[in-house]
Amino acid sequence: MLKMTHLSKVYRTEVVETYALRDFNIDVKEGEFVAVTGPSGSGKTTFLTIAGLLETFSGGEYHLDGIEVSNLNDNARSKIRNEKIGFIFQAFNLIPDLNVFDNIEVPLRYRGMKAAERKQRIMDSLERVGLASRAKHYPAELSGGQQQRVAIARALAGSPRLLLADEPTGNLDTQMARSVLELLEDIHREGATIVMVTHDPELAARAQRNVHIIDGQVVDLSEDPRFHTVHAEHTGTTA
Amino acid sequence: MQIKPILAAMRHHKAGTVLIALQIALTLAIVCNALFIIHQRMARMARPSGVEETNLFVIRSDWADKSDPQRIDVQMQADLIALRQLGSVQDAAPANSFPLHGTGWDNFIKLQPDQVKMTTDSAIYFSDDHTLATLGTHLIAGRNFTASEIGAQQPRDAMHSAQVIISKDLAQRLYPDGSALGKTIYVSMGNKPSTVIGVTDTLQAHMVGSWAGPYAYNAVLVPARLLNDYTYYLVRARPSQLAAALRDAPKALYAQSRMRIIDRKDGVMTFAQVRQHAYERDVGMAILMGIISVVLLAITAAGIVGLTSFWVGQRRKQIGVRRALGATRGDILNYFLTENLLIGIGGVLVGAVLAIGINLWMVTQFEMARLSLGYVVVGVIALLLLGQGAVLAPALRASHVSPVEATRSV
Repeated sequence: MLKMTHLSKVYRTEVVETYALRDFNIDVKEGEFVAVTGPSGSGKTTFLTIAGLLETFSGGEYHLDGIEVSNLNDNARSKIRNEKIGFIFQAFNLIPDLNVFDNIEVPLRYRGMKAAERKQRIMDSLERVGLASRAKHYPAELSGGQQQRVAIARALAGSPRLLLADEPTGNLDTQMARSVLELLEDIHREGATIVMVTHDPELAARAQRNVHIIDGQVVDLSEDPRFHTVHAEHTGTTA
Repeated sequence: MQIKPILAAMRHHKAGTVLIALQIALTLAIVCNALFIIHQRMARMARPSGVEETNLFVIRSDWADKSDPQRIDVQMQADLIALRQLGSVQDAAPANSFPLHGTGWDNFIKLQPDQVKMTTDSAIYFSDDHTLATLGTHLIAGRNFTASEIGAQQPRDAMHSAQVIISKDLAQRLYPDGSALGKTIYVSMGNKPSTVIGVTDTLQAHMVGSWAGPYAYNAVLVPARLLNDYTYYLVRARPSQLAAALRDAPKALYAQSRMRIIDRKDGVMTFAQVRQHAYERDVGMAILMGIISVVLLAITAAGIVGLTSFWVGQRRKQIGVRRALGATRGDILNYFLTENLLIGIGGVLVGAVLAIGINLWMVTQFEMARLSLGYVVVGVIALLLLGQGAVLAPALRASHVSPVEATRSV
């Protein structure tokens, strides 16, 4: 579903080159629920933005659902984002001027879908996240957890092949975070492929597989001495 | 099209939306009327005078001794002989006024001696047998005055002439169903008839104000020299000898008698200067209206650019989210163009009503003509195009916002 091979992302200025990702390799199979973890500045968000075709990369290869995306133009990338990817952002990223229904409708309109089908999909996805009664509410009238559920409904409405979640519970309290996570697990059980970036170990533990990024590279935690230190500290604390 | 969500979003930016729409409305209302006024003034300036203006000039001679009208008459006849004898001059004639002069005599014209209400009003041109040739105005019916028919009168004398020549427009006004030639008219409030012996082609009256619109081409030529405190001489220079004639004519008059004043500044005026002077208010008004229109359009365009730029800056994250959700650059460009078009349509609808309302008010207050709907249609199209042009740069900037903005915290 998502395969990056020797991928790199370099930010260049006149005097310095900074590698956000270096020789980055990852392979996410269809139907997997993968948590991408790592410390701040490790390259998690850069990975997510490249995976979601929000920005380009400097070298290597990236295949998404069998398509090599490095040579696609802006319109083709927009089309893939629209049809194959569903985004769930930490800050929900709902459009404050639009009500719940219109927010979910945004990506469907860009797809050129007919009004009747749009309406059916929107109501189905709202039913799915338990917010069918809030279709006419504006984001400001909803709690954080409800806003994130709307964002998930927006991501689901387009029936994407891949769900990319960036710290989906980062702005939520424990109870709301739990309900959102349970929703993601339900969606995964129904067959969705989910890649979730998080620095919350508890959240990562709920995923099927964890991928750890340090200094822009995927590392095998079992061989990384830094992991053993962290892991020992974690074990010691919880013991 | 995504009109519904754009309208929904606009409800959350009411103040800016309403202000820009109102600005567009006011601009349209004022610019439509301003352009209409400009067009009216230009049309008025483009009216034909009925005179061959090239090579024609006018001399005003103020008499130093005004006590003896008979001496003035003798002097005028001598002056005319002197002018006509100049090699650079083709012809010359005396005048109390002339087309586009602005001031002169105008009188009631009646068809019956006991008529209380005038049939129309007309400019009165005191003329002689050289007047038509000097003006370059042609007769379309009848004959010119003969030298023996030319008399003289003082301003306070009751005006009467057995023969008159009238302009084509006056003839049609007086006798719409037939020829005026040989018919009788009554000039001024007198009861003595004047016979129409000739009808000229188009000949404009001296009045140029908008009040005189209905009488603008009514003229009666009376065969007499007016013995006033001053006189005008109409002088036609020979082809390509205008400069020489302008130099020679005043000298010839001073050679006849130095008991006169020909003003150095405007004592001698070419007909081009007469025309310029006659319409300088119209030119001024047209320029003023033009400047107002350009400034208003520029302010409106700047307002649209400013507000859209502000909205693009304010909605940078939202644009990034839309791009992340699959909007192409074209979709974002289209969003801002459509949003602006909707505001513009709201503005021009109000503006069209305002434009017509302002015009109706001016019709009642200033006797202006009714605004043609064509101006409103052209104004609406121009304002909408201006709006779309103004929004293009900020909308293009918006379309280049990267989708990665969606992941950035504000």
